[in-house]
Amino acid sequence: MDLGLKGKKAIVVGGARGIGYAIAELFAREGCDVAITARNDDSVKDAVANLKKYETKVIGKGCDVTDGDEFKAWMEWADEELDGVDILVPVTSASGGLGSLKYWEKNFKVDVMGPVRAVDAVIEGMIERKHGSIVLIASTSALEDMGGPQGYNALKASLITYGKQLGLAHGKDGIRVNVVSPGPVEFEGGNWEMLKGAMEKFYQSLIRKQPEGRFGKPEEIARAVGFLASPAASWCNGSHLVVDGGFTKNTHF
Amino acid sequence: MDVKRQQTIKRAAEAVPGGTPIEKAPDPDLGHDLIPAERYTSKEFMQLEWDRVWTKTWLLGGRSDDIPEAGDYICTNIGKESVLLVRQKDGSVSGFYNVCLHRGNRLIPEEGLGSVAEEDGVFRCSYHHWAYSSKGKLLHIPDRETFPQGAPPCGRVKPVKADEWGSFVWFSLDSDIEPLLDYLGVIPQHLNPYHMERMAWTRDVTVEWDCNWKASVDAFSETYHVQGIHPQLKWYLDDVNVQYDCYDKHNRYLIPFAAVSPRVQLPSIMPPLIAGMMEAAGMDPAEYEGPISGIREALQKFKRENGPEQGKDYSELNDEQLTDDYHYTIFPNVSLNVHSDDVMMFRQRPHPTDPNKMFYDIWMFELVPEGEKWPERVRHQIFRHGDKTIGQVLDQDAFNLPHVQAGMRSEAFEGLWLGDQEIRLRHFHRTLSDYIYGNNGPGEGDI
Repeated sequence: MDLGLKGKKAIVVGGARGIGYAIAELFAREGCDVAITARNDDSVKDAVANLKKYETKVIGKGCDVTDGDEFKAWMEWADEELDGVDILVPVTSASGGLGSLKYWEKNFKVDVMGPVRAVDAVIEGMIERKHGSIVLIASTSALEDMGGPQGYNALKASLITYGKQLGLAHGKDGIRVNVVSPGPVEFEGGNWEMLKGAMEKFYQSLIRKQPEGRFGKPEEIARAVGFLASPAASWCNGSHLVVDGGFTKNTHF
Repeated sequence: MDVKRQQTIKRAAEAVPGGTPIEKAPDPDLGHDLIPAERYTSKEFMQLEWDRVWTKTWLLGGRSDDIPEAGDYICTNIGKESVLLVRQKDGSVSGFYNVCLHRGNRLIPEEGLGSVAEEDGVFRCSYHHWAYSSKGKLLHIPDRETFPQGAPPCGRVKPVKADEWGSFVWFSLDSDIEPLLDYLGVIPQHLNPYHMERMAWTRDVTVEWDCNWKASVDAFSETYHVQGIHPQLKWYLDDVNVQYDCYDKHNRYLIPFAAVSPRVQLPSIMPPLIAGMMEAAGMDPAEYEGPISGIREALQKFKRENGPEQGKDYSELNDEQLTDDYHYTIFPNVSLNVHSDDVMMFRQRPHPTDPNKMFYDIWMFELVPEGEKWPERVRHQIFRHGDKTIGQVLDQDAFNLPHVQAGMRSEAFEGLWLGDQEIRLRHFHRTLSDYIYGNNGPGEGDI
């Protein structure tokens, strides 16, 4: 199946490591020009250097998405460098945290306002060009209990609602918006690699919930995102795809 | 080394005035020879250790604050011997063997704490009520006239040297030994700034382990094993940028805590053990906005600024001591992890008869903030290896050591093949050799 991604232009916010990097890599491999950012400028530089092997245009620089002005300027820079953006996937997250109210603020600033600002920056251009594809990244933590009641879980849930309504509002403009909820994903330098060592019992209790006895890999999330982002998914709009290897137990009718 | 990234650990160039020295001691040339496995398994070597180490060194006996009043005593054992360390009216501590001159009964049957204050400082043997002073002088023999040969002419139980330093009571079975402070060498200068006398017991446990006492000393003398048996600590400490310092008899290493090991990539979220360290200091991990690699210094700064109002005087400690683990081995058998707010120390004692067994004493103390009530002393617990958990990290060590001991007894194992990260083990064995064989080291046929 040809995804039809060749020649498209994609922005991946939080594309230097893990799931975000795997998504950026899939786009580059499929022939897209790609812009990436992350908070750490060095890791963005490394990622850009690695992605250049696919011989498309790959650009990136560090940016703090919680700084509205800085992030807006970055989005404008990326949009201009790519000469208009077809695909947007905002991935950045402040991750979980239980106990302090501060975690709610952090998750709101990064997990909610990050995607909201990114969408805000590209939506006018997409409307003008009459096409665009946006994939938001929620989490299975929005669907089932994970580590206790916390901002990350509740605010990731808000992206599922936002994505659906964004898709409904802009279908007429030729813009599709879909949401992917990954289950736990393990990779080197990722949180689960650390928790495997640092909180082994918690880690093992979750591994037992996976029918295949392992967590997901970044590229397994990236392939689902890549499909939904691509013209091959032309009739997917407002959908929510759980990609978790059977981690969640609820049946969706 | 098998690392994923380079990490620079900031250490102050020099100590605060009167503080713990920071500078690296020059590495002694200790060669690269095998350390013979027989040292850990042979009864002959065990006997040499008794004759030339346990009876010739200063040994840790207990805590000074356990015997505050005249007549209070600590009864503690080393090998086949048991000693009594008794607080005197003048505030000093005297020691003598825990044995009655009559038929050899132990004056105090079990290890532990007690007091003869109510008996006016008199130790009375339970068997026939022979009575001794708080210094071990024979005071009274019931039916004295039925001993035509008279009382034992020595007139007292054999004394044991006793002294105090660092809020601890020390003793030596060698009546000719150098003064305690001379024996301790650099240790008081290094550890006085921690003010261990401001810390109170939080744990007092003795576990019988199926390994030689030196296998336990070894286990706490290097961080090379962190990547092996303590994988969770890679997100708590830097096991690679460790400073090793060997002094006269004693040695130390300095491990950066609140840091992520260069053996793993930096995670994007706060490692839970490091978050716990911040919380313990009264710092909210959720408020921290900086990079994971900046936590160690941020925590040092926070403790420096907030210590005084928490009733914690860190003024004699260097910044890095506010986070890091300074780990000392006081020859022969004391290993201490000293931190600004607590001390976790191990006294590693030989079994009286079996080189394949030992007693592992876990002593933990925590800083009592100024103005807070001194907590009640924890109860001493004794159990056998595997009966109870002693905490995740120590359980990992404890699980491992009997297998180390078993392997050391194998025909296929000649000795310890040590690397640079294990220099403290070599230094320890050098000191051991000095005591056992003199400064020329082991001769032909020696172990």
